[in-house]
Amino acid sequence: MTVDNLINWFPFGTEWPVLTFVTAVIICALPVFLFIAVYALVAIYAELKISSFMQDKVGPMGQGVGLHAWKFGILQPVADALKLILKEDIIPDLADKKLFVMAPFVVFVGAFISFAALPFGQNIIIADMNIGIFYILAVGSLSVIGIILAGWSSNNKWSLYGGMRSAAQIISYEIPAGLSIISIVMLTGTLSMQGIIEFQSGTIWGVLPNWIIFNNPFSFIAFFIFFISGVAECNRTPFDIPEAESELVAGAFTEYSGMRYAFFFLSEYAEMFVISAIAVTAFLGGWNSPISGFMNSSGWGVFWFMLKSLSLIFLMIWFRWTLPRLRVDQLMSICWKVFLPFSLVNIFGVGIWSLLVG
Amino acid sequence: MGVIHGDLMTLNIGPQHPSTHGVLRLKVKTDGEIISEVEPIIGYLHRCFEKHCENVTYDQVIPYTDRCDYIASMNNNFGYAVTIEALMEIKVPERVEYIRIIVAELNRIASHLLALGTYGLDVGAFTPFLYMFRDRERILDLFETLCGARLLYNYIWVGGLSHDLPRDFVESVFSFLDYFEPKIEEYNELLTYNKIFIERTADIGVLPPEVAISFGVTGPNLRGSGVKWDIRKDDPYSIYDKFDYDIPIGAGEMGTVGDCWDRYYVRMVEMKESAKIIRQALKGLPAGDVHQALPKKIRPPKGSIYKRTESPRGDLAYYIVSDGSPIPYRLKMRSPAFTALSVLGEISQGWMMSDVIAILGSLDIVLGEIDR
Amino acid sequence: MSEDLDKLISDAVEKALQGDMDVINNIEDRVTRSKAKAALVKAKRLAKAAIAEDAPKPEESKAVEALPAELSLTEKVSAVIAKKFPNTIESDEENSHIQMKGKNWFEIAQYLRDNPDFLFDSLQCVTGYDFGENEDLEVRYNLHSMTHNHAIEIRIKTDRNDPKVPSVEKVWRIGDWFERETYDMYGIVFEGHSNMTRILCPEDWEGWPLRKDYEVQETYHGIVVPKVKDGWE
Repeated sequence: MTVDNLINWFPFGTEWPVLTFVTAVIICALPVFLFIAVYALVAIYAELKISSFMQDKVGPMGQGVGLHAWKFGILQPVADALKLILKEDIIPDLADKKLFVMAPFVVFVGAFISFAALPFGQNIIIADMNIGIFYILAVGSLSVIGIILAGWSSNNKWSLYGGMRSAAQIISYEIPAGLSIISIVMLTGTLSMQGIIEFQSGTIWGVLPNWIIFNNPFSFIAFFIFFISGVAECNRTPFDIPEAESELVAGAFTEYSGMRYAFFFLSEYAEMFVISAIAVTAFLGGWNSPISGFMNSSGWGVFWFMLKSLSLIFLMIWFRWTLPRLRVDQLMSICWKVFLPFSLVNIFGVGIWSLLVG
Repeated sequence: MGVIHGDLMTLNIGPQHPSTHGVLRLKVKTDGEIISEVEPIIGYLHRCFEKHCENVTYDQVIPYTDRCDYIASMNNNFGYAVTIEALMEIKVPERVEYIRIIVAELNRIASHLLALGTYGLDVGAFTPFLYMFRDRERILDLFETLCGARLLYNYIWVGGLSHDLPRDFVESVFSFLDYFEPKIEEYNELLTYNKIFIERTADIGVLPPEVAISFGVTGPNLRGSGVKWDIRKDDPYSIYDKFDYDIPIGAGEMGTVGDCWDRYYVRMVEMKESAKIIRQALKGLPAGDVHQALPKKIRPPKGSIYKRTESPRGDLAYYIVSDGSPIPYRLKMRSPAFTALSVLGEISQGWMMSDVIAILGSLDIVLGEIDR
Repeated sequence: MSEDLDKLISDAVEKALQGDMDVINNIEDRVTRSKAKAALVKAKRLAKAAIAEDAPKPEESKAVEALPAELSLTEKVSAVIAKKFPNTIESDEENSHIQMKGKNWFEIAQYLRDNPDFLFDSLQCVTGYDFGENEDLEVRYNLHSMTHNHAIEIRIKTDRNDPKVPSVEKVWRIGDWFERETYDMYGIVFEGHSNMTRILCPEDWEGWPLRKDYEVQETYHGIVVPKVKDGWE
């Protein structure tokens, strides 16, 4: 189920190629958008509940009237989303209006188009490109432009701080994340997402699943470097210095309200999913079952992929409600002084490993 | 290699800001993330406390003292009552003294819990805040059974108390302490010894003892700098000399003596010591009438008095001048948070934006008391 | 590595003692910087101690010892000041405090802080006081010594129409805010203060609120100011 299949399947594909292409893209984009919306609602509810359990409270329980009064407050995030949509849309008087309006969509687009190359299942991928992982890394950093735009255009010192911090942080953490992916590419010899996953089928010594994380000690370290850098790229605690509500009020998003703020929120959750999905694809066997041969059909693939991704998202939520926030210089020094040397050594190590062992 | 200096940016932290602990405005000059100058601007919460006091009778002042340091109202009541009693030379019954110490120390725990919880919030840890509020809530519940109010008690009166202890109060305080003392370990595991928390607070905002004394900083902030000074020990009032407890001081366990971590940790240990005092006081609680020594009319003799007590934030002192009438001629409150805030500009120069927030949080200010 | 650091720190401290704080502020590593700052404080303290050792002349310390032991601290301080700074003590009728004239207060404050027999290193409280309409104003200082654990009170009267008292901001740093507060409430000007502005009231507030003859202004920026009620009913 890819865009290419869809285009070939259309009977009038050759006659109106542009129309066909646009139709195919829309047909593929709509479910993704719906998926993100539904997933975000679930993730927000999960975050509310998980944080509540961690903090010895009950979270949304269905109090009051209206949507959030339903069983266990399951519709709480829906009510929140509706509230955000119906809120007055405030644009500050002295803001740069065009950029201000544009920023949330730029951020969202960055997260949204990454979904095109995520392999949800054996056949469920929108565009199985031969450079899939490269593509995701490339478009994933788009969001930083949106955040800088938001910070600059708000004409607010806090927002500017948030934007600058965010730029420094996301761009820095791209490097260790990219380098750890490179070590994986060296191992698998392909940039295609499906190719990387297929590399990981089977078992090691008949016991462990043949996932890259278990492949060699270097890729084991690479997973942690990638995942932590990924958390930093999502601006989640303990790396949420661009938002840092106790210092910067709300950082780059200070002046946003209503629907525009909701888009930032949505893209944060979408980005969390993208990062988890890449980590799952590159290190945790993608849609492969953890026990070889057990529930390993293409249908179950979606299940395993979602299960793994959501577990990583749970981990991110767990971080957020446990750890304090790092300071901006500490964050940078971790990136440049720890992660970067380690990931360089990793590339070297993986190279030698595949020469000697593989 | 030369350093290029750009223009400094003036940034107003507050009056509306999540971590100014009230309505405080910090006018900071920043060079990127580095703060080169901090000037606290106060007065947004000024309610003419001292002027009000010159217009009401002595017993009517007590509710006003509640509203100064609204986090530790018992201690404010206590300080005021002790001062007037010293001026009038009233001897209060033994039971009253014990109950006062129990509630004052309970309030000290509640106040420190709030200080530490919000400090966690300042450095970005959300969960410890709620844990500490959960336990503070229990103390507030105890106070509610005691006097009906959760925050502004008006409980300690000149010469006595407004009510005697309710039924089962002693047992419930004991059970609270049994529950609470192990919780301190939980906070330590969750926040105190967290690597990131230590990175954020150790070696940050070092307050050397000389500077602290020169700025009149007292209480946990001064003790964090390694000065063993506590009014309860050094100039005992009420019956604090009867109990056995320690005064924790900062030792530079994680960094330099007098850094934010030390100030934080002193408060953590102080809660344990307060619990110790409460246990002893509960065990020794005598019977008696708490209203016995209440004066019919509070009319202190002519004269003036300056009396210090130890509130959770430091030396809380009242300077009271009486002209023999039932209305204070002059009442000045020496607020510990006022002096603590004045040192902020001195110790936060050259640190980063996040550090200034951490330093401000570690000073544990209450704007109600600073602005009065 | 650590020797290098030590050298870096000592260099920076030396520069800072000469007044160049940039060297310390430019140290990149945070821990090193804070160590350097701590070392700077220590160095300053040592320097101060050295000055303090030189300062008190032997006869002054003897002046305190020579006084009869049964005198209270207030009387002792009063006697010593009277000897050292003639014509500054106004009266010593009451035993609870020392009533002084405003002149030389700054020097006296420095003397009280540095004299090893008193070491009043902490200014506890500054209270403004109004004797009533058309009478004098007064400033009351509560001093305290952390080392000796003793305290005295000093009172300085000043004229209502031209209230001026020397500032002790440079003696005790907290004097800065305490004096600003007293100025805010009583209009007493502290001469030599670096920033004599209102602290609690708005900058453009009229009148001195804690004076006994204070009348609340009618409006403030168009907002009607509620009156303070007489008494309470």
